[in-house]
Amino acid sequence: MEGGYTDQTQPAIILLVEDDPGDQKLVKYALQFQKHQSSLKIVGTGEEALDYLRRSEDGDESAPLPDIILLDLNMPGMGGKKFLQSIKADEQLCTIPVVVVSTSGAEQDITESYKLHAAGYVQKASSLDKLRRIIQKLTQYWFATSTLIKR
Amino acid sequence: MYEFKPVVILLVEDDPGDQKLVKQSFREEHIANELKIVDCMEGAMEYLERSRLGHQECPMPDLILLDLNMPGMGGKELLKAIKADTEFNVIPVVILTTSDSEEDVIESFRLQAAGYVRKPVTLEGFQKAIADLTDYWFIVCKHIEHNKDLKSDCNLCIVD
Repeated sequence: MEGGYTDQTQPAIILLVEDDPGDQKLVKYALQFQKHQSSLKIVGTGEEALDYLRRSEDGDESAPLPDIILLDLNMPGMGGKKFLQSIKADEQLCTIPVVVVSTSGAEQDITESYKLHAAGYVQKASSLDKLRRIIQKLTQYWFATSTLIKR
Repeated sequence: MYEFKPVVILLVEDDPGDQKLVKQSFREEHIANELKIVDCMEGAMEYLERSRLGHQECPMPDLILLDLNMPGMGGKELLKAIKADTEFNVIPVVILTTSDSEEDVIESFRLQAAGYVRKPVTLEGFQKAIADLTDYWFIVCKHIEHNKDLKSDCNLCIVD
């Protein structure tokens, strides 16, 4: 394999924080077409995501620490931005790249997300085909071009 | 045909060979881009301060590619300084390095790098890495429009 590329020995863990069941399903489906193997964990709110990550840190095998987090912004409860803020303030969890995936194209949301250290801002695609291409480029970047922390 | 304004990439890299590889790789890209190169941290800080002041020859970068090991102030210190600055902290900084050390990977992500790319050894590898990186940051991701007034009629304004 080319020197700069990561040898993927085990599937990457993706934590999707998304309240919409339709969007959850779309991401799950789009990931099945990818050559980079991944294991998708889904939670519906920021609070549930924090709970998941707490369990990861406690070594709970059913909640492996994610290599990357895909985060919706508009969710009931604490919402995406608050969640992003709290994990970036955590000394251990702050190393996990968080990519915002939102229907919002508002410049304020984009700017605020990057200010809170989002590692990308993706606007949700309406068609499955488009979503597949987005997920393909996203997984290529995060799981092949860029190196992940060995967990 | 380029519908979009060029994106601005700031490369912070002291090795002339690697500068050339990155330059060549961006030239192959199908999105309009303007690559700016500085060869040290101090040069990068100077570039960014000029951007802040609105100097036209130093447009605000949409993405920074940062080598870690350079003489003078180190790459991590620059990353820290950028992420602590209320204006520059929105710019994604991707590490581009030969370092294989796991400690560097962890430290870079802790300092909020937006990716850690190990330098490929071949031109082909470089081109692939730059192509994948460009696809992710400029096709998949939305970015902040810093340079609304930049002209879009130049497809390759590569300037050193």
